[in-house]
Amino acid sequence: MTRHSSWLVLVLALGARSGTAQAPPSRVNTIGERWPFAPDGSVRIVNPSGRIRVIGWDVDSLAVRARGPGRLAAAGTASVRTLVVTGRAGLEVRVPRGARVWVKSVSGDIDVVGVDGTLDLNSVVGAIHVVGTPADVTAETMGGPVELAGGTGRARVKTVSGGILLRGASVDLGASTLSGTIVVRAAGWQRGGAGVQRGHFESVTGDVRFDGELGRGGIVELESQSGAIALRVPGTTVADFDLLTIGGSVTNRLTADVAQRGALRFSTGAGGAQVTARSFKGSISIEAK
Amino acid sequence: MMCSEREAQLNQYVDGTLAAEARALVETHLAGCAGCREAVAKLRALVDGARGLPRAIEPASELWTGIAGRIGKGERGKGKRWWRGALAAAAALIIGFAVYRLLPSSAVFYGPEVDGWAAAQIEYARATDELAGALALERDRLEPATVALLERNLGVIDAALRESRDALARDPGNVELRALFAAAARQKVELLRWATRAAT
Repeated sequence: MTRHSSWLVLVLALGARSGTAQAPPSRVNTIGERWPFAPDGSVRIVNPSGRIRVIGWDVDSLAVRARGPGRLAAAGTASVRTLVVTGRAGLEVRVPRGARVWVKSVSGDIDVVGVDGTLDLNSVVGAIHVVGTPADVTAETMGGPVELAGGTGRARVKTVSGGILLRGASVDLGASTLSGTIVVRAAGWQRGGAGVQRGHFESVTGDVRFDGELGRGGIVELESQSGAIALRVPGTTVADFDLLTIGGSVTNRLTADVAQRGALRFSTGAGGAQVTARSFKGSISIEAK
Repeated sequence: MMCSEREAQLNQYVDGTLAAEARALVETHLAGCAGCREAVAKLRALVDGARGLPRAIEPASELWTGIAGRIGKGERGKGKRWWRGALAAAAALIIGFAVYRLLPSSAVFYGPEVDGWAAAQIEYARATDELAGALALERDRLEPATVALLERNLGVIDAALRESRDALARDPGNVELRALFAAAARQKVELLRWATRAAT
């Protein structure tokens, strides 16, 4: 048997003809399939091991390409479709930009590009990478890293040991990790953003770094048990800062205010953002960009 | 001041799990005990508040999906699995409640009383053990690499919790420490919940 024929290619089937058609998983040498799909339709993708790539496009249809050993079953309608892979086939799915996408993986990486709808991405140890401006992102992975690039209306990210990188013009961000690091690079108005309006970033042992602009009136909280917390904001930032570490040190290079016994509170003007940083034994530093 | 020997009974009373006869006895006691009446009012407020728990400490909806799926299997003859799932769900809810009680806002109800704080810690530890026990039954369903990752991070979180607990022992009234402990406890809950979900 040749290597080529030993590959299982997909199983895509047929839901387009009947409303809720259910295609039984089967081994067929099909590389791709395409169905009409609503601009805001929902796609559910389950692929335990293979890489998953989801691409938003300006076409009201859903297209799937798969390659590698495995089986793929597809079922659904023009507004809801489920794709389930067994085996290790990699999957590339093109969806209307406004689609709602739900992905579950065990070890496969998840990449999403150019989707403006809602994303719910879950992997056990795979990496999650999102590029674009989705309205809402939920991303969880135990062992892999997460990167969101471009900006979102709202994002909630959780890892156990993977690093988290959030960059772009986002408004409402939440990130939580146990031993990974959190890095936030928040774009301001110069790059199309308004700064972070609401941010909550917490780690147990990992470092937390916030580098970017705070939205006027925004609330940002940073917390780490033993990791370092570093803040870099524009020198013109207007905000109230409340920094406290119980066993570490506080270093302020933004203003002349000096910490007393691990605590520092100061304001750079009224009506600005509120920034709170808390650590048990990590250091906290703040400086101008 | 609440009658300490009635703490468990008052909790059951608020939860509505007392039998009619015991309930009547409690109500008779409440009629003559201002301390217990106050405690019941606080517990009710706490239970109401718990309904609005932050999303971060609630079991994720997918957890229930997994458990529901396993309940379905249980109906087809895998009763043990139903109980494991139910145990995990119950433990997650108890932990959520316990962590809620650990949060600074609970100081509104418990104020400087260390009893409530200590009870919450015990409750948290017990529930965590239950969830860990449920996970232990399913760990063979996890990939070895995932188990290694899980164990490594459980070690990390346990060390962090020990440090916080030690610091709290030295400074039990420190609200900031309590908040940090609660955050770490929540992370452990999340980790166990996550692993349980991955195993189901």
